[in-house]
Amino acid sequence: MNYFTESLLAAFRLIISLDADIFRIVLTSVFISITATLIAALLAIPAGVSMALNSFTGKATLQHLLNTLMSMPTVVIGLLLYGLFSRLGPLGHWGLLYTPTAVIIAEAILIFPIMMNLTISAVNSADPRLIPTLISLGARSFTLTVHVVKATRYPILAALIIGFGRAIGEVGAAMMLGGNIQGFTRTMTTAIALETSKGEFELGLALGLLLLMIAFALNFALSWLNKS
Amino acid sequence: MTSAYSLNNIKLEQQSKTILDIPQLTITSGQCVALLGENGAGKTSLINLLAFTLHPQQGSIQLFDQPVNSKLTPNQRRRIGLVHQQPYLLPGTVADNIRLALSLQGVHQSQLSSLTQQALKQVNLTDLADQAANTLSGGELKRVAIARAIAYQPDILLLDEPFSHLDQRHMQQLEDSITHFAQQAGKTVVFSTHDRFQAQALANKTVNLMAGKITAAPLLNLYHGQLNEHYFDTGKMQFHVTSTLSHARHLAVDPREIIVSPQPLQSSMRNNFSGRLTLIAEESNAIRLTIQCAERFHVIISPEALISLNLSLGNTVWLSFKSTAVTVF
Repeated sequence: MNYFTESLLAAFRLIISLDADIFRIVLTSVFISITATLIAALLAIPAGVSMALNSFTGKATLQHLLNTLMSMPTVVIGLLLYGLFSRLGPLGHWGLLYTPTAVIIAEAILIFPIMMNLTISAVNSADPRLIPTLISLGARSFTLTVHVVKATRYPILAALIIGFGRAIGEVGAAMMLGGNIQGFTRTMTTAIALETSKGEFELGLALGLLLLMIAFALNFALSWLNKS
Repeated sequence: MTSAYSLNNIKLEQQSKTILDIPQLTITSGQCVALLGENGAGKTSLINLLAFTLHPQQGSIQLFDQPVNSKLTPNQRRRIGLVHQQPYLLPGTVADNIRLALSLQGVHQSQLSSLTQQALKQVNLTDLADQAANTLSGGELKRVAIARAIAYQPDILLLDEPFSHLDQRHMQQLEDSITHFAQQAGKTVVFSTHDRFQAQALANKTVNLMAGKITAAPLLNLYHGQLNEHYFDTGKMQFHVTSTLSHARHLAVDPREIIVSPQPLQSSMRNNFSGRLTLIAEESNAIRLTIQCAERFHVIISPEALISLNLSLGNTVWLSFKSTAVTVF
């Protein structure tokens, strides 16, 4: 118990002292997660709205596929991308392995099905009169998508927050593709895993607390959105 | 005269059920047309077909003598304004909603304010321009929806059950808004209703819909049942009819063809029933009597006839009509 309490106090001291190493790790994590979220959002939101608005052959199958991808283990994504980006892989000449870009790609792929599915749910749960009204007023494909996104912006924003939360808490793919290089690809989750295995429990705990704070802030933002 | 719509051999089916079966229907430009029918008669589906938001499995619809492909061109779209039964206003103010409709129709930015004001003026709601759409009353909401639909000055205004769930005051205001639009040269209005008198009061032409088909029969005294030989059995009453249409399931009696008398009549008429007078109402320069027999009957008589018959509520009266006053379909 003493060990845990002392570690916890040390962790707080590290956070309060604005330890440069810790904050570099936090910044790397936040940068990678925000970029991955934005890239995934740019693709998942239009794709989700388009899928919700249109009927086509294979829609049910695609929905099942998305549901499956939502629960895909992150290490599997890491493994597949590792195969693609490693020196002997088909995209090895891009030199992406052990770079933040590789982690961003992995996290974007990881959260894409989650954000697309949540966008589909957002559009499907909108007022059933919304789409017929917009169509009768003259909205067509692009303008229809824009106005549907505008009308369902709160649940779609919630999808973004959930996607970001998933990205920042991801460890498997970040470890495999980023390599946990200090000051370059070391994220909060990979650092926690590493520091704990090295016996630096305080540092791991400090990062864990910061991760919890981010999760709390995200939940706060979500409940604020729900009220809106 | 130009026809706003020309429908030919329309068949609309949903889940293997025929929703609409219309061999031919023409709506002349400049007319105010009421689609009259009970719930489920196909009024909303027909309004949606006319708005081209629903497409029939069979048949063609011409808009101003031009065939329409699967999608309307922007110019064709701009000629039609649609107001749904329960209009949906997007988040924002009343003016935001109207501006949105205008911009979706490609109206230039510089015209948005003046056209928004003009549309609100037409429905007499200029004071509400900056009010949040989600704070409007039912009547105001419908009038704002009309303002939004007419803001881009369409040639046709389609309204699905515009008077449902409105009190008398809001109904009157809405009637004024529709009449104001209909009175402009060349404007066509098509609205659906189940109120025959409202249809007659507002429209130049009434289209009676029954189970997805257009019928010439008046729908005021409408009964459902089965035809056996020359008798139509509703389960409560039997009507003598001349038709032998074996698959007929509906029967209508023209309310102007029913004779009312305080005593039983000795005549050659085959349908004679007695009942209790439950309502006397003035409708469009005529008197409507409601008489409760085993089924409820509506009878239209002149004000002079009401005076000479000396009727009071609660009286027992006799109804007589010929088999030819009855339409089965």
